[in-house]
Amino acid sequence: MASTATRPDRTTATQEFLHNLRLLPRTLKDAWFRIGHTPESEREVSQATFHNLFLHIHSVRVHVRTLAPAFTLGLGLISAASFVVLCITGVLLMVYYKPSTTLAYDSIKDLHYVVFTGRFMRNIHRWSAHVMVVAVFLHMARVFYTGSYKKPREFNWLVGLALLVLTLALSFTGYLLPYDQLAYWATTIGANIANSPRELTDAIGISTWFDPGGFQKRLLLGANFVGEDSLIRFYVLHVFVLPVLLIMLLGVHFWRIRKDGGLARPEEPMGGPAEWGGSMKRVFEPLATKTYGLMALVKGRRPTVNRGPENTVMSWPHLFWAELAVFMLTVAICLILSFYSDAPLKELANPAVPENPAKAPWYFLGLQELVSYSAFMGGLLIPLIAWVGLALIPFLDRRPGGEGVWFGTPGERRVAWQSLLFGLLTSVGMLAFTVNFGWLRNWFPRIHQLWIIAINPGSILVLLYAGWSLLVLKRKDSVRLAAVALFTCFLIGFTVLTYFATIHRGPNWQFYWWPSQWPVH
Amino acid sequence: MNDPSTRFRWVLLLASLVTIGYLVAAALRENFLAEWYTLQKEYRQLLQSKASDDQGRALARDFRIELKQVSVPQLKAVDRCVSCHNGIDDPRMTGVRQPHAVHPGDILKNHPADRYGCTICHQGQGVATSFRDAKGDDVSWDYPLLTRELTQSSCLACHDVERLPRQQVALVLEGKKLFDEKSCASCHKLGGRGGTLGLALDNEGAKTRHQLIMVNLKPPYTTWRWHQAHFRDPGGVVAGSQMKNPTVTEHEALALTAFMLSLRQRDVPESYLAPDKIEQKARALHPQPLSGERLYRNYCFACHGDGTYGRWDTTFRRFIPAVRGPSLLATADPAYLEAQIALGRPGTQMPAWDARAGGLQPDEVKALVAYLGKSGGILSGKTGIFDRFAQNDNAPVLARGDANRGAALFIQNCAGCHGVAGHGGVAPELANPTFQQAASDAFIVTTIRNGRRGTAMPSFQPRVPGARSLSDAEIADLLAFIRALGPAARKPQTALVPNDLVKSGGSR
Repeated sequence: MASTATRPDRTTATQEFLHNLRLLPRTLKDAWFRIGHTPESEREVSQATFHNLFLHIHSVRVHVRTLAPAFTLGLGLISAASFVVLCITGVLLMVYYKPSTTLAYDSIKDLHYVVFTGRFMRNIHRWSAHVMVVAVFLHMARVFYTGSYKKPREFNWLVGLALLVLTLALSFTGYLLPYDQLAYWATTIGANIANSPRELTDAIGISTWFDPGGFQKRLLLGANFVGEDSLIRFYVLHVFVLPVLLIMLLGVHFWRIRKDGGLARPEEPMGGPAEWGGSMKRVFEPLATKTYGLMALVKGRRPTVNRGPENTVMSWPHLFWAELAVFMLTVAICLILSFYSDAPLKELANPAVPENPAKAPWYFLGLQELVSYSAFMGGLLIPLIAWVGLALIPFLDRRPGGEGVWFGTPGERRVAWQSLLFGLLTSVGMLAFTVNFGWLRNWFPRIHQLWIIAINPGSILVLLYAGWSLLVLKRKDSVRLAAVALFTCFLIGFTVLTYFATIHRGPNWQFYWWPSQWPVH
Repeated sequence: MNDPSTRFRWVLLLASLVTIGYLVAAALRENFLAEWYTLQKEYRQLLQSKASDDQGRALARDFRIELKQVSVPQLKAVDRCVSCHNGIDDPRMTGVRQPHAVHPGDILKNHPADRYGCTICHQGQGVATSFRDAKGDDVSWDYPLLTRELTQSSCLACHDVERLPRQQVALVLEGKKLFDEKSCASCHKLGGRGGTLGLALDNEGAKTRHQLIMVNLKPPYTTWRWHQAHFRDPGGVVAGSQMKNPTVTEHEALALTAFMLSLRQRDVPESYLAPDKIEQKARALHPQPLSGERLYRNYCFACHGDGTYGRWDTTFRRFIPAVRGPSLLATADPAYLEAQIALGRPGTQMPAWDARAGGLQPDEVKALVAYLGKSGGILSGKTGIFDRFAQNDNAPVLARGDANRGAALFIQNCAGCHGVAGHGGVAPELANPTFQQAASDAFIVTTIRNGRRGTAMPSFQPRVPGARSLSDAEIADLLAFIRALGPAARKPQTALVPNDLVKSGGSR
């Protein structure tokens, strides 16, 4: 028998079988883990990253600046981590949630009161959604202020903007699902914002033939009012379509980080020690006894000779510890918030009893304030201008330099402070003016609506910000500084308007100093 | 070597510990520290202490500590009250503190909890598992837990309260009686019948706190506290309210509140309706007409009082005429009164009462007019008062008058009370279309000549020597002017047949 020759000390197949059975744990481990022990050599450490399906989107080595918390503040990771938390808690909630107008509310009540950890999971879902929206805005600000949108990262900036819209859409579609008073009326507001082109088409009298506003609203709601059709439509968007799109774009976003050469960083000084502890050895130590004929083409600004990728560390384990830490921190913060604060749930949605004030979700409240002045301007034109403006930034500011560092261009910090002040004063001033004196229709009751569409607090603010930015452009002779001015104004304006509409707008959208002063109804 | 990942490992450890800690804390809070958990453990001890036979001991042994609920799909209710109220159907649980005590009375004999649940009678947030949420009065829940005395208002969902044992629904019955006595339907429609000055009350019990003005109340903001405050002081609760203060005691206000809460159109499946309720619904299809006296009490009393005197109403800022004044009844014919009642006085607070508006059937209007005719007032004992007119030999000469001369006379003698253009105020509105349509010339002239005893309308042809008096020609001029105030088309001088008017349904 030929097989006897291949079995060293074994004589029977049975013994071979038993031998293999005994060795099962080890052979299983060897099959699964190619290295089988904590990676030791640099080669093994590289393979830990390179050969892993989930990890190999990371580069094998990362620059030390990537790991500096003060640089990125981990905001991108926080956004991604909160998205992961949302997916997990979302799937758990999907087990019990029922997307029907007659069943939705009761299913949320059951989740809260009966389902094991239901209350906690729902709270986590709600809080991590808030965290995600805040984080993506702050992440965008970080990328802007560190100039990390510059060549070759322009496309990633655009992908990020698309992700921003998807995040807001996910949050908005999820808002309707509990189908309580809050959900119903916030969605009504949102749908009517989608209907805002009507203000313009009504004012010029063409609505009967051309009604994009009505079309958008019906497309969104699946009917002329929020109801059964809207709920199922929002549900499908929220649990499938939008998450799939987001994950795809997120993949592109991460891939582009790789292809664009990692996170943006400033010019490497020639020579000089690594930033983290002078005792780190050089990555590439050319030996005197060897000649090196290897040449590599890398993306960079100048040729380097006799140097390896300095100031980099292995991704395994440093980058992954960092990522895990940020993930866990995000999870911990979401849990703490969820433990102490319940997600709100008001009475069952009742089309006959409107909420007063009916408010959109908080990240749309700034928009709602603008819509209260002019639906078309605030609901369509200003957001469009803002979004297109943001998208154009990397294509208008193409001068290299200053990326990878906060306020890298000289004079940037100062311009940012000045713009903050300017944006604050103008937005607060505009709001104070309208609260005290009203606007055009208070003084001229019969003027045409087109005047109000053109001249309203929102459009005035846009013009003021644009004017300020052009002033900076001229006086500081720098596109980047003009961009900083405009972006800062936009950020502060958005924040002020959102705060104002959240706290100081009460029933009938009247001004109140505090919610405790709202008349009880 | 300076390991770049040391700080991250510390953060990871800390964050993981915090995460685990909060997960454990949440699990504990939800399961072992929950209100219902502690209460069920207490109850199990109670069961053990009260166990006196094998059955009792078995009950105590088999008692499981878990969330409990009663699910009644036909009533769309899932009531988790029984997670804390474990002893509601255990007769031994007397003299123990709530929530372990047995349900009072013998309601549960006819309304077992597993068929009815709890919230059909008690309201509250049945799906909740904590007392604060179940009470529902300071959380976002439409129908908070009813107080003990007001629970009886739920009986109307399935029962005819008139057929229930009196002492169980005493408050609702008293409220119903007060509703009629205080003549609330003068302004508030109920069952399609009533006035229009106030809101219809058919589904008042279904209102949530968001549909009532709570500005002038203190928390807790429940609908019954609103009603109690509103009955005691309507103007204080609703700014600018035209409602007259019904002057009720606290107890009467509570009774009326119970009645208000019982007015609720509930969607209860037929199998749950009591037979007496079904009979009540059948009776409602063919309602018995009410007597004239009941009609007056229900629909007229609130504004007209006992009807024997006219008065100026400060809330309405208008004069309310004496509809049972013998002086009026001596000159008006039944057709006139029926028209006034059926069509009302548009533009004033007097609503139309015919079948399409106020909901009174034609024979009820007739009965009301007959009642008015029977009233004694100052000159008691008079019968057949309407016959007087037919034989009145003071029938005036209705010569054609001059409206321009009449205008001057009107300003001098009438406008002070009746208003410059006859729009009333201190005195009835002469320009009112219903008045113009239904009042005959003879009625107007006789009133001017003889005045209205018991009211502020003087006689303009007093038979007192030396007193100021208008001539027949002057009165004819006034008549012409008064007619000119009203609509151009004027009906001929025959008494209008009532059916005509009611059928035409108020042409204005």
